[in-house]
Amino acid sequence: MGGRDTDIVLLDENGIRCDGRKVNETRKVTIKAGVLKNANGSAYIEFGDNKILVGVYGPRDVHPKHMSDTDTGILRCRYHMAPFSVGERKNPAPSRREVEISKVIKEALEPAVMLKEFPRTAVDVYMEVLQADGGTRCAALTGASVALADAGIPMRDLVAGCAAGKAADAVILDVNNEEDQAGQADLPIGYMPNLKKITLLQLDGVLTPEEYKQCIEIGIDGCNQVYEIQKKALQDKFFATGEKQ
Amino acid sequence: MSGERKRHVIPGEVITSGSYRAEQNTIQVGDNIVSTIVGLSDVHDGSVRVIPLTGGYMPKDDDLVIGKISSHSSLSWTADINSCYVGMLPASDVFGRDYSSSSDDMTAKLAKGDLIAARIVNADMTRDPLITISGRELGKIDSGELVKISPNKVPRLIGKRGSMIQMIESSTNSQVTIGQNGLLVVSSEDPNGLLKAIQAIELIEEQAHVANLTDQVNEMLESKSE
Amino acid sequence: MSDGLIIDQLKKNQILDLLKEGKRVDGRQFDEPRKLTIDIGVIPKAEGSARARLGDTEVVAGVKVQPERPFPDTGDKGMLICTAEILPIAHPSAETGPPQPPVVELARVTDRGIRESGMLDMKQLVLEKDKSVIGVFCDNAVTDHDGNLFDACSYASTAAINACKIPKYEMQDEKPVKIEGEFTEPPITTLPVSVTMAKIGDFILVDPTIEEWGIMDARITITSNSDGNVVALQKGGSDGFSQEELIKCAELSVKVGSKIREIIKQSK
Repeated sequence: MGGRDTDIVLLDENGIRCDGRKVNETRKVTIKAGVLKNANGSAYIEFGDNKILVGVYGPRDVHPKHMSDTDTGILRCRYHMAPFSVGERKNPAPSRREVEISKVIKEALEPAVMLKEFPRTAVDVYMEVLQADGGTRCAALTGASVALADAGIPMRDLVAGCAAGKAADAVILDVNNEEDQAGQADLPIGYMPNLKKITLLQLDGVLTPEEYKQCIEIGIDGCNQVYEIQKKALQDKFFATGEKQ
Repeated sequence: MSGERKRHVIPGEVITSGSYRAEQNTIQVGDNIVSTIVGLSDVHDGSVRVIPLTGGYMPKDDDLVIGKISSHSSLSWTADINSCYVGMLPASDVFGRDYSSSSDDMTAKLAKGDLIAARIVNADMTRDPLITISGRELGKIDSGELVKISPNKVPRLIGKRGSMIQMIESSTNSQVTIGQNGLLVVSSEDPNGLLKAIQAIELIEEQAHVANLTDQVNEMLESKSE
Repeated sequence: MSDGLIIDQLKKNQILDLLKEGKRVDGRQFDEPRKLTIDIGVIPKAEGSARARLGDTEVVAGVKVQPERPFPDTGDKGMLICTAEILPIAHPSAETGPPQPPVVELARVTDRGIRESGMLDMKQLVLEKDKSVIGVFCDNAVTDHDGNLFDACSYASTAAINACKIPKYEMQDEKPVKIEGEFTEPPITTLPVSVTMAKIGDFILVDPTIEEWGIMDARITITSNSDGNVVALQKGGSDGFSQEELIKCAELSVKVGSKIREIIKQSK
């Protein structure tokens, strides 16, 4: 991304971004745990205009058998976009981009999940993007770890996701679609808030060493904010007392 | 009681720190004992564990489970026991030692979709758990209705020394066979009793985490059926 | 998928015993579909969208509208394509990878119901004959599976297309250019609605659940339009229907379909 020409003002003179946020502010995030009937665990996340459904199945039998491991359970992830989730209709077949994102999300979750006690099984995480608006991988990762906890998969920590980046020469938190298209850098982060470990990191764009430092710093701060919403989603489902379901 | 108050915890949350033993569903991270699951923390006599509120069934030796026959080979049946592992029921368990794959018809005894009450004989996880249907209260189930609850809620359904399940059975005139794997078979001569027993079980499934559960269930059982 | 589902023997006996008494396990009449709720506009970025919930079966349909180069032999008509896929979140038996025959059938039956009814007046979706036409793509994503995906996809598709907005385009140098912020209503001629019936023994059941689906002998999906005519059919399963049964099924589909159509109309 090289700062494509656009007539959108990414940052105005008061430091307000194109969607009304300040530079260090995330979009509105809402998460609901346990939304699907058939899945062992599930979550629905809205991260700004991103809308993502996550379903977890497992631990369960591995098919094909040769993929199974006699010493541990395995984690499998699929990130997939609905054809209607983006501006121009997407071909329903998985793209190379989706395959790569599935892989980086799997590797972001693997440090958290503990599958040693389920040898020869698999845990499947399916992330279905119903509407995309920039930052889907962080949103999907965030929803996935709530769905895994909902399924009762043992985990060392949750993993929260949030991107940092650069637009109009400013370091910004939680890059939206316009900023991703017309901005200068996008740095998605996945973070385990209690263990304080970054498990997903990519960069698209150019940052100076100082901007890079700042991006990681505010990115972690964003992840910590997202973590509080993850926590609340699980508390609402499991610990809410009284009548409200 | 030397225990601290039980707390709701989620994966990654620190339960306590200091010199405690990390037991079920917890790990030690530096000085801290951390939960690995959504549940209730239980600090007791220098050890910490978390009672899970979600998650699947892991087979344990001697557990009574309810299974659904899913397929068979010439030597054994496999049963879906609501777990990540399928139960293996050897043909010899039903036909005895003289079992012969050429003369004995396995599907005549147990066919796909049949329900069985079985006991776990061996669950060492290196292969699928071995189950048996010979024994008291075991075997093919011919009547009743299958109900599924979260395996973690089975202890709550049974109650202290069986108090909860006895209350349900006696006030609804029904019998409940409880599989540790969360599958139950409820039967009753009285259709209303059956309905009521299932409703009571569903209430426990939904409200397992609340304190006055026994009162709620009692209230429900005593209310007139609609 | 559901074709390989094993229903436990007790449930199967219970379903069959109740049918003889004229009852279904969930208390419905034989000709009564499950509760249908439709929410439109659930995917605001799509030109049209609907979430249909039929009992515990749930489908999200999204409509994308964009200019396309027409097929050489139909340069005077717009393009309409409906697809369906069962997302792996929907059921433990749903698979990733290339679509299996039951999923292909689902997609084709969904498409046929919309297409053959002539729901959209395709002649009105031409920007410049033989050069550029408007393409309407309606993609169905099954998110929760409790049987009878055919009807859930039919209702989601019809509701989403009925509620969609067609962006305005202008031809400039033989290329279509979108006029931002300007839309027209879709050229709707009729509202097609499918009704699927399962045959279990001699009983015909409207809108089977996944358990009834698991033990049925045969099924039939009949799509009718706003005038009460039959516009598409699909028989499935390993038994057959008698002539009388087929006539009864067609009547049922028109009767049940007209109530469903009202729900779809009101969702807009």
